Amino acid sequence: MTPDRDAQADALLADQRRGEERGRLTVFLGAAPGVGKTYAMLSRARELRRQGQDAAVAIVETHGRGETAALVEGLEIVPRRRVEYQGRMLEELDLDAVLARRPRIALVDELAHRNVPGSRHERRWQDVMELLDAGIDVHTTVNIQHLESLNDVVHRITGIRVGETVPDIVFDRLRDIRLVDLPPRELIERLHQGKVYLPEQAERALHAFFSPSNLAALRELAMQTATDLVDDDVREAHTARGVPGIALRRRVVVAIDGLGSSEYLVRAGRRIAERRDAPWSVVTVQSGRPAEATRQAELDRAFALARNLGADTTVLHAAHVADALLDHAERDGASTLVVGRTRERPFARMFNRTLTQRLLQRGAHYELVIISSPHARARSRRGAPPPAWPGRRDALWAALATFAATTASWSAQRGFGLDDVSMIFLVAVVLVAARTGMAAAVATAVLCFGSYTYFFIDPRFTFQIGAHRGVVTVLLFLATALVAGRLASRLRQQVLALKAANAHATVLQALGQRLGTAADLGQVLQAGRASLERHLDADAWLRVADTEDHAEGTTLDAIDIAAVDWVRTHGQPAGRFTDTLSASAWWFLPLRDERSVIGVVGLRFAPEAGRPVPEQHRLVEAMIDDVSQAAQRARLVADLERARVGNETERLRSALLSSVSHDLRSPLAAMVGSASSLAGYADAMGAEDRKALLDTILQEGDRLDRYIQNLLDMTRLGHEGLSLRRDWIGVDELVGSAVRRLHRYMPDSVLGIDLAPGLPPLWVHPALVEQALFNVIENAAKFSPPGEPVDVRARLDDGSLVLEVADRGPGIPSDERHRIFDMFYTVERGDRGRKGTGLGLTIAQGMIGAHGGSVQALAGRDGRGTLIRMTLPLMRPDTASHATED
Amino acid sequence: MSNDAASAPPRILVIDDEPQLRRLLDISLRAQGYDVVSAENGREGLERLARHGADLVVLDIGLPDLDGHHVLARLREWSQVPVIMLTVRAGEAEKVAALDAGANDYVTKPFGTQELMARVRVLLRQKAQTTTGDTLHDDGRLRVDLDKREVTLDGQAVVLTRKEYALLALLVRHAGRVVTLPQILREVWGATHVEDTHYVRILVAKLRQKLGDDAAMPTYIATEPGVGLRLLAP
Repeated sequence: MTPDRDAQADALLADQRRGEERGRLTVFLGAAPGVGKTYAMLSRARELRRQGQDAAVAIVETHGRGETAALVEGLEIVPRRRVEYQGRMLEELDLDAVLARRPRIALVDELAHRNVPGSRHERRWQDVMELLDAGIDVHTTVNIQHLESLNDVVHRITGIRVGETVPDIVFDRLRDIRLVDLPPRELIERLHQGKVYLPEQAERALHAFFSPSNLAALRELAMQTATDLVDDDVREAHTARGVPGIALRRRVVVAIDGLGSSEYLVRAGRRIAERRDAPWSVVTVQSGRPAEATRQAELDRAFALARNLGADTTVLHAAHVADALLDHAERDGASTLVVGRTRERPFARMFNRTLTQRLLQRGAHYELVIISSPHARARSRRGAPPPAWPGRRDALWAALATFAATTASWSAQRGFGLDDVSMIFLVAVVLVAARTGMAAAVATAVLCFGSYTYFFIDPRFTFQIGAHRGVVTVLLFLATALVAGRLASRLRQQVLALKAANAHATVLQALGQRLGTAADLGQVLQAGRASLERHLDADAWLRVADTEDHAEGTTLDAIDIAAVDWVRTHGQPAGRFTDTLSASAWWFLPLRDERSVIGVVGLRFAPEAGRPVPEQHRLVEAMIDDVSQAAQRARLVADLERARVGNETERLRSALLSSVSHDLRSPLAAMVGSASSLAGYADAMGAEDRKALLDTILQEGDRLDRYIQNLLDMTRLGHEGLSLRRDWIGVDELVGSAVRRLHRYMPDSVLGIDLAPGLPPLWVHPALVEQALFNVIENAAKFSPPGEPVDVRARLDDGSLVLEVADRGPGIPSDERHRIFDMFYTVERGDRGRKGTGLGLTIAQGMIGAHGGSVQALAGRDGRGTLIRMTLPLMRPDTASHATED
Repeated sequence: MSNDAASAPPRILVIDDEPQLRRLLDISLRAQGYDVVSAENGREGLERLARHGADLVVLDIGLPDLDGHHVLARLREWSQVPVIMLTVRAGEAEKVAALDAGANDYVTKPFGTQELMARVRVLLRQKAQTTTGDTLHDDGRLRVDLDKREVTLDGQAVVLTRKEYALLALLVRHAGRVVTLPQILREVWGATHVEDTHYVRILVAKLRQKLGDDAAMPTYIATEPGVGLRLLAP
């Protein structure tokens, strides 16, 4: 199989990203302290310096060793930050100073170092990540035992649990790994010579650490790791160049249950996945009931660890663990399932009911890796936890049900002479089983059995019963309790699981709906904030570009603002629940598109609220994703709109300029010409000629006036805020006014008016609709041959008013009809006498459109001329009752 | 001044900042036999009115110093002289404001001289009668006698409700001039109803029906969209 195209694209992208924007990491890896990592790093830096590369020491501990100090000599050293902590003066890496200095290569010793509390980041590896993000290459040193995924292995080898680990994702940024090797014997020699610096308090523990066998194993591990990491690099490079031969990677799925060995399983899973170069995910199955606090805490830790190690994490909701796991594996394209060894339950085992057995039976095509953790081993020796005793509520249920059944049976026997009342007790058992848990059901069964024997079986008021009958009865009661209880509790779990799964889906759906109706960025943020606040029970603060949305009176402190800035520049969460600026009361998360951070979301939970559980975490992430997408969409739409408006404005401007110069000048030319003729030669003219010139002046003046009015109307329409001052007006009144205006300067035009009876008044901006109607009628009159009427008709059609104006002129070719409303078309052709339509129709369309109506151009009736149809939605008068009452 | 109305020609004060328009109005109005006084800004106009008096004022609403609305307001503080405003077409809100502030009529620029003269004649005639305007309207078919409270169409009595009559009477008193919707609502329904313009729509539709008038081709009552109603002069 050829490498799949996505993987290839990913690899190329990753390669490019690393090559261009971000800095790359060179790690000097050692098996133990004292092998000479710092020495190697400094030697390399000097070499690079000689080659003219810009390398600077960000932080290097010489621990007073002469040879190391000598190497630092001559290298540029960025001054350190001095921090006072618990009365001691400490020196730390000054991140801002290094960022400001921006060397090509920064030397940062001791990757696993833990920063003084109050620093920007908790850990030095985070500082390094920030340097890398800023495009600075980093050379650093680390010992093998500090690698997160090897933590357990190291623990097994040496018996020492190393607290300061570095997550493996750091190594995704690796350019080069240099294994600094020293045979164990030489190392021990150095140690004895005091050439190895060890922190005082850890000295004794570390001496045990330096046993030859430990060192040999660690050395082996370091070599292996270095090889693995180099392998990764090669593989990725191959994929990037399209070299085939690497099998399709299948996913490794690690299932954890939060019962003691989750973190161990996660680390084990990571090793398996890495060795196979497979993507991996960690899942847990929740069957409805919320997990107890300790279990949940372990799950949280394991999930956090898994994400640090580069896994996806998922919480499944289902009643059957095995089914859910197999389903998930199927969907995810997994090839390997990693599970812990389950508790030994002799009965379950007998019936093939342990998780492992079921997985083995049903997941035949998966590779099943069963890992027995130290914890599980200890636990299996300890034996299963004692069975749960019925709680107080369960006991109460059982007592009440038994009492009720006894009373009912008593009255049934006395009242109706019912012989066998065992059925009544059975009903009680079933009811309890259905409503509560198994424990209560069994307790009820036992109590019912007692009561039944005591009150209803001869000899009465003793617990003596015939052997056969007694055994059968008690078995019957117990069986019923077990079966019904089991069924009921499973049903309940399924319902709870469904509810939990549904809750997320519902939240996201509701958010989607709200976002779907948001028209701009502001509304997107509003909708997002409302949903986040409502479903997460927290204050929310959102910002994308310059648009912000938050509750009134929300202010951010300096530390909050610093966290927001950090999120913006780094695209990583900051503030509460994170390792960065965690003193902030807000939890800030990035809103991102494919390429960059587009905004920041802040969430402020109540101070006493715990860290969000993974499930909540994922809900937050999903919601934020949705908001990001909607915000992106809104921004895109706004950008496009801006570009479009910009374009149109430019086009319109040039069209208007040419139109204005033509359309204003030609009537003016006629007027000036006529008037100057009259002024100069009136005496020489006949009365008729004089009148003709005067008429020209009048007509051209009117034309100029109409043209200017059109320009004014255009600017009015062009402004977004064409505010409609609506009022009631009759259609007949509008027509009457338009017609009177037309007659004032086209007294010869003939109009046929036909208004359907009973037209309701319109709730419109009267002057605008009148102007629109006037423009259309005027246009029709202009094109009508003399003596031919212009028809004006109005009727109701499906809740809308339809106004039609038809002329008997030359008509418009059908392919040009829609264009007569186009501003550019009309503007470009101008108001040129009878040839063009002028701006009038465009304006009419704009004005009618502002009322929610539309204007169409159609062929005239019986094929002659043009018919312009205006449609206006009606709003019926609702408060017209007392108008004419006396 | 009304005592010498018969002998001396009516005096018209023109307040306009455009010299061309002032000259045009001066020539046209003098040609009709009026005595014309011109002022080029609001201050000067008010001063001339105070000093020389006038039977009618033609006031441009867009003046450089005081705008026409201010001049009108100052003028109305002490004078009831009829005022015709010169406005532009798009400003229907402006027209209503001016009419409500006491202007008697308006003419939209650019206007034909005939139109202006007709308005001037109507106002001067009404001024000559009483301060309440016409009390009789008779165009040969429709006759409205406000003194007798009689309305006849072609000699037949028209039965009107109280509100219909009130509306018609209001229009008759301002015959030939625009009456704004707020004005109608105030006079016919009272001050609390000035927003209920649909009352007027329904009432005027009924009145037109009874008078046999067609809003699309009005002979009596014309609608000025967004401004008000006008009883067309006979």
